[in-house]
Amino acid sequence: MTIAAPAEPALGGRLGAIIRRATELYEDLDFKSVLDWKAKDKTRRAIGFLPVYVPREVIHAAGGLPVGIMGGGDMTEIVRGDSYFQSYICHLPRSVIELAVSGRLDAMDGFLFPSICDVIRNLSGMFKLLKPDKYVHYFDLPQNFRAGLGGKFYAHEMRSVAQAVAKMTGSEVTDDRLRESITVYNANRRAIAALLELRIEKPWLIPATEYYLMLRAGYLLPADEHTALVNEYTLMVQQSNRRPLDNIRVMVRGAFCEQPPLALLRTLERAGCYLVDDDFVVGSRFIPDPIKAEGDPWEALAEAFMQRSLPTASVYDEKHQKGDLLVRRVKDVRADGVLLMAPSFCDPALLDQPMLQSALEEAGIPFTSFKYSEDTGQFQVIREQAGTFADAIKLWGTA
Amino acid sequence: MTLTAGVDVGSGAVKVAIMRGGGGNEELLATCLERIRRRNVLDVVDESFEAALREAGVRRDELDYIATSGEGDLIPWRTGHFYGMTTHSRGALFIAPEARGAIDIGALHTRAMRFTNEGRVEKYQMTSQCASGSGQFLENIARYLGVSIEEIGPLSLQSDEPEKCSSICAVLAETDVINMVSRGISTPNILRGIHNSMAVRIAGLVRAIKSEGMILMTGGLARDAGLIAAVQEKLQDGKSPVEVKGHELSVHAGAIGAALWGAFRHYKLHPGELSGGGT
Repeated sequence: MTIAAPAEPALGGRLGAIIRRATELYEDLDFKSVLDWKAKDKTRRAIGFLPVYVPREVIHAAGGLPVGIMGGGDMTEIVRGDSYFQSYICHLPRSVIELAVSGRLDAMDGFLFPSICDVIRNLSGMFKLLKPDKYVHYFDLPQNFRAGLGGKFYAHEMRSVAQAVAKMTGSEVTDDRLRESITVYNANRRAIAALLELRIEKPWLIPATEYYLMLRAGYLLPADEHTALVNEYTLMVQQSNRRPLDNIRVMVRGAFCEQPPLALLRTLERAGCYLVDDDFVVGSRFIPDPIKAEGDPWEALAEAFMQRSLPTASVYDEKHQKGDLLVRRVKDVRADGVLLMAPSFCDPALLDQPMLQSALEEAGIPFTSFKYSEDTGQFQVIREQAGTFADAIKLWGTA
Repeated sequence: MTLTAGVDVGSGAVKVAIMRGGGGNEELLATCLERIRRRNVLDVVDESFEAALREAGVRRDELDYIATSGEGDLIPWRTGHFYGMTTHSRGALFIAPEARGAIDIGALHTRAMRFTNEGRVEKYQMTSQCASGSGQFLENIARYLGVSIEEIGPLSLQSDEPEKCSSICAVLAETDVINMVSRGISTPNILRGIHNSMAVRIAGLVRAIKSEGMILMTGGLARDAGLIAAVQEKLQDGKSPVEVKGHELSVHAGAIGAALWGAFRHYKLHPGELSGGGT
């Protein structure tokens, strides 16, 4: 019996080298790439951030490197992390604690914990106790989306981070610097958007695992380096001879915080599902379109977050549009169905799910749901579920 | 006329079927079965696929759809993949059009399916991960007893006083068998005892899917007449009006079903090639 779909055979050439580089970054739980980056200049500082979203432009403008801390995946044995949390708490904070207490987050000079859920908020408190010599900040994202209230509050939060990082690096965040950083990240947005577009049009060219590794690389590499990597990958896969399979096209929702293991993505694809749209590593494209690089950059960042960020469970849905937006997105990407895959015990994802299910049912869009954790190692049940879902759509549905 | 192939990669063997036609006019051109026996599974797939093509007199480039099932999602040159339950149901319907249920007993698991007259799965039930209801378990027992797999069924039918053995755990059942051998119990009675213990689990699955009428045994153990007799006996309790049958093609049901669904998909994707679609 197959426990997990094995990895694809290694590719040669430049495409193979890009994938190997992204894989090395993904597997680097000691953050050696960050230490290497810091070693080049003594003033460099790395700021780790938890899911889902922080405005990386602010850290970049202060001369810092924003580093995504996405947990230990299925590569970390939890020895001490479990003693910090009850059994009904998701897996991500356990592995983050494990990384912290084992010294593997020592490359970071500070930590940002964006407001997502109580667990992440409590984790920020634990870090304050565990890392008293480091900058630890609970980054409170606005829940009121009016410029005069939420916008003002958010700009204040961003300025507070900017000042803290600038104090470490010695580089003050001026408006000009912040506009330059917005431009750098806009180039990254365009690169990711092109990758996504190609995946929607020709999903067989971009296996889910490769796509995922490309996104994750952006949480470790400097933005311009990541932009170049993604652009080169997108170009190279178009020259590959990968051929289409008779798979269904599915959208994935619920995986925005704790990340699925790579073997789960392979399992879904092998079960006959092309993942044409998802919310993996969603902070990397939380604001999908370019942000205004003219005028007041703080206002531009606030406006983009409040008015143009992707609808996820971690953002308050003031206008109750999430269901409609999901249905519209299913149509836009021509998905045959939706996989609602949420991490076990993820309150935001699981509380959103009934609302999303109702919207899908009303629109007649097939869906199935299951749960995972970042260290899930047995995929047989998920494989059966995804396989029968794909069969039902291929044989009796509209695909 | 459409040409399709079905490749069912099981835990113990690779089965291939080549078929012609669709829309209710399907013809089985060739089948091939090759046991894996610790070889590289993709090598076994290539070997059995080429053998089936030769027997059918068909070239690989003439195939409109290569459908895989089971662990066949590892085959890079497939056109599409279908889950085992979907293919075994469709294959069973082709082999026995009156069947409305199937019991697939593979090397590592057993499952029962109920389906419509189109081959659409309505309900299914699968054993848990314990190997005591599986072909691998029976093969191990046969090895301890020094009989070949082909001999198991006929020997079991000769039983006059079946021994009882554990139906819960393969390890316990194997211990039971060792005790039986040391107590001088005859091979037919041991085998029928094993068949009876497996039949208890299988009958539970059949009752759970609430299938009625004829149920076809598929998968690797479908040719075991002793097991079929034991399952039939367990189901003759007045609660489940079913008849369990085997067929010489039963072991190929997954591959046949995959080939048929491949043809169905081909017509669905190319509607101009067959008016009216079909299953």
